[in-house]
Amino acid sequence: MAILQWIQNLPFSASIAESESLWWGYAWWLFIHAVGMGLTAGLGFIICLRLLGVGQQIPVSSFRILFRVFWIGFYINLLSGTILFMTDATGIARVWELYAKLFCLALALVAMSRLRRFIDGDDSDGAVPPSVRKTAVACIVLWLAVITSGRLIAYAVEANGSVVSVANPIHADAL
Amino acid sequence: MIIGVSVFLLALVKKSEDLKRGGLAVLFVIALLSLPTYMTGYSAQKSVKGLPGVSQAVIDLHQRSALFALIFMEATGVVAWYGLWHSRRRTSSGPRNTAVVLLLSALTIGLMASASNVGGEIRHPEILDNPQAAVATEGILAPRWLASDFITKYQYRHPWAWKTLETIHFMGLCLLFGVVLVGNMRLLGWMQNAPLEGFHRLLPWGVWGFVANAVTGMMFFIGQAFQYIENPAFHWKILCILLAGGDVLYLTWHDEVWEMGPGDRAPAMVKVLAASQVFLWIGVIYFGRMLPYLGDAF
Repeated sequence: MAILQWIQNLPFSASIAESESLWWGYAWWLFIHAVGMGLTAGLGFIICLRLLGVGQQIPVSSFRILFRVFWIGFYINLLSGTILFMTDATGIARVWELYAKLFCLALALVAMSRLRRFIDGDDSDGAVPPSVRKTAVACIVLWLAVITSGRLIAYAVEANGSVVSVANPIHADAL
Repeated sequence: MIIGVSVFLLALVKKSEDLKRGGLAVLFVIALLSLPTYMTGYSAQKSVKGLPGVSQAVIDLHQRSALFALIFMEATGVVAWYGLWHSRRRTSSGPRNTAVVLLLSALTIGLMASASNVGGEIRHPEILDNPQAAVATEGILAPRWLASDFITKYQYRHPWAWKTLETIHFMGLCLLFGVVLVGNMRLLGWMQNAPLEGFHRLLPWGVWGFVANAVTGMMFFIGQAFQYIENPAFHWKILCILLAGGDVLYLTWHDEVWEMGPGDRAPAMVKVLAASQVFLWIGVIYFGRMLPYLGDAF
C-alpha cells in the first residue's frame, strides 16, 4: 500500500530505523516500549490480583492512583508503538499478529475501564462482586494475550524479511 | 552454603528466631550469587578448551552436574525466601518450611560436592585413570538433558522453543515489575491509607515472576552461552539484578518496614532503597533489551 510505504519513507521513520544511537534509535524505542508494557500490563495484573483477593488488607480505593500511572504507561506505548510501526510500516502491517494484538488490547482496555468504574465507585472498599471478579480474570488473560501477540509480531516480521533487525529467532538451518 | 546451613542449624538448636532468619537470608544471598557463579563456568570453559590434558567429556560432566546442583540451590533460595516472608506473617517460619530448607540444603551440598569433585579433575587428569569411566558412572548426578549441547540443539531444532521462552520472559517481567512498582510506590509515600501488610501479600507474586524469568533466562544462557559471557549489556544486567536482590533482602529483613501501618511514612533510608529498586529494575529491562545492540545477542 502506498500510504504504508510513504510512512516508512518519511525522514523521521528512516532516521530511527537507520540510527545506531542507543538513546534515540530503534533500540531505544524498543526499551521504552518494554517499560510501557511493564507499566500497563504489570499494573493491570496487580489491580486484577487485588480484586481477586490477593493483599486484602489494601483498601481497593487506594489503587485509584494506579490508573493514572497505567494511563501514563499506555500513552508511552502508544507513542513508542507508533514509532516502532513507522520504521517498518509495510512489514508490520502485513502480519496478522499485529491485528490480533490490537484487538486483544482494545478488549483489555474495555475490561480495565470496567474495573476502574468499580474502583472509583463508593462501594469499592466493600466485597468485590462476582461480575467484577470475572472481569478481572478476563483482564489477566487479555493482557497475557497482548504480550504474546506483541512478542510474536517481532518474529513474524523477521520471518518475512524486515528492514530493521527486530529479533532473531533461531532457525533450524543455522545448525 | 555450609555457613548458611550452619547458622540455620545453630538457630534451631538455640531456638533463636533471629538467628534462623539470618541463616535463611544467607541461603537466599548464596542462591542469588550462584546464578552468575554458574555462568562464569562458561568463560572458564572457553579458556581451558583445547589445552593438553583437558578432557571435553569431563568438562561436560562438570557442567551437567553443576547445573543439577544449581537447580537445587535455587529451589533452596526460593524456599528460604518464603521462610523469611512467612516470618513476617507469624512469629516463626513454620516447621514445614524448616524441614524443606534443610532437605534441599543437604541435597544441594551433596550435589555441589560431586560437581566440584568432577571440576577438579578437569585440570588434574592424573587423579583419574580413565575419564570415560567417570563420565559413564555419574549419569544420575549429571542428567544428560541438562547438557548445554542438548539444550542448544533442542533450541535449534524447535524454533518455537525460543519464542515461547521469550514470551514467558516478558510475562514474568510484567508481573515482577508490577509488584516492584506498587510495593515501592507505597514505601515512597503513595497509597498511604493502605497498611504495608497488604503489599507484603503481593510479594510472592513478584518472586514467582522472578523465578519464571530466572528459569527462562538461564535457558537462553545455557543454550547460547557464548553470546552472553562477553556481552557488556549482560554483565550490567546481572549487576542490576544482584543489587536489586540486595534491596529486596533489606526490605524483607528490616522491622522498620514491616511495622508500617495505614498512614505511616517510611524512613528516608527505606525511601532511597525503594527508589533505587525501581531504578535498578528499569536498568534490568534496559540492559536486557540492549543485549543485541550493545553486544551481539539475539
